Amino acid sequence: MLPAIRDSNTLHQALDLGYRQLLVERGSLLAMVGPLAAAARQGVAIFVNLDAVEGLAADSAALAFVATDLGFSGVLSVKPHLLRDASRFRLLTIQRIHALDSTGLETGLNSVGRPAPYAIAIAPGVAIPEVMPTIRESTNVPVWGTGFITTSEQAAAVLAAGADVVASAELKLWREFRDARIDD
Amino acid sequence: MATRAMTPPARAQAVDRSVARLFEAFDHVPVAAVIRHAEDLPRALASQVPAIFFVRAPAFHLGPLVWAVQARGKMAFVHIDLIAGLGKDRAGIAFLAREIGVNGIITSHSGLVAAARAERVIAVQRLLLYDDLGLRSAMAAVEHARPDIVEVQPAVIFPLVAEQIRALHPVPIIVGGFVTEPHQRQAALERGARAVSTSTVSLWP
Repeated sequence: MLPAIRDSNTLHQALDLGYRQLLVERGSLLAMVGPLAAAARQGVAIFVNLDAVEGLAADSAALAFVATDLGFSGVLSVKPHLLRDASRFRLLTIQRIHALDSTGLETGLNSVGRPAPYAIAIAPGVAIPEVMPTIRESTNVPVWGTGFITTSEQAAAVLAAGADVVASAELKLWREFRDARIDD
Repeated sequence: MATRAMTPPARAQAVDRSVARLFEAFDHVPVAAVIRHAEDLPRALASQVPAIFFVRAPAFHLGPLVWAVQARGKMAFVHIDLIAGLGKDRAGIAFLAREIGVNGIITSHSGLVAAARAERVIAVQRLLLYDDLGLRSAMAAVEHARPDIVEVQPAVIFPLVAEQIRALHPVPIIVGGFVTEPHQRQAALERGARAVSTSTVSLWP
């Protein structure tokens, strides 16, 4: 479970639950830059969706800021050239792919560049059970699911279909996964 | 191309662009055939689907395909966002409407919906729902653009958002994206979709 946060409130909720990996999915990155950098310094792995956060340009200067000043672990984007740039800053690269219909999925999978990304993130994540066979025909990299995952049933279905990571903005789901981990 | 070239029918004025007639036909056969590969077109022409959606077709070879669809009494829709060679602008819309004589245009962009309506073709606005927070802004765009039809993608999202969409803006909804099994088609129709669009040939009645 990867908590998807959008402000310092949700950031602190995820940290308080003991999560050590976070996805900044939305909102103004610049408005939470202090707490994010502090969390990164304490070893929390932070990933940022460059297509959706506000306050950053899609360019090298933004990547340098994220990698060097903030100490983030990785970036997500639909843009292969941005990810290529990001790998030069030693960021983990997660290629976002929109799974809206088979035509678009095909285009997205074809855009997966070289070097291969660290992972691909399928949006909406709830489509993963339907699209996993098509994905596996074209790539073996880890699959993340993001978007429209709000219940534990959906999360379980996405993981059962072969996703490695499921991201959700739902606090209730963060709690359930945390509790399940403690039970293990 | 399997379809033989045909002469265009008497162009724009003769093209049926009645949303009411489209939905009357969808009430009998609630499926639109999505053509991803040209070799699937003959199957779609021979099927009972009332509408055929062209995605990713090359713009300047579309004419004969569209006219073949219309010669079968079906409506031809073109997805302008994905089409190769054509500007995604008013001139592109005007070309499809006047020169090719399409029945309707599919786009996810509000600006192109407005251009399509100005050309009096049926405007289908795609809602690309890859995350939950996009729905409100997408619906605001729909309210502003006033398309004739909204197409929700992917289909698996539709049950999660059907009520919300209807509450925000009353517009006929069709559903597409990864509809490959009869039960998925059925689920969308049961939740209030007027039709599903699918490239899965076995789902074309």
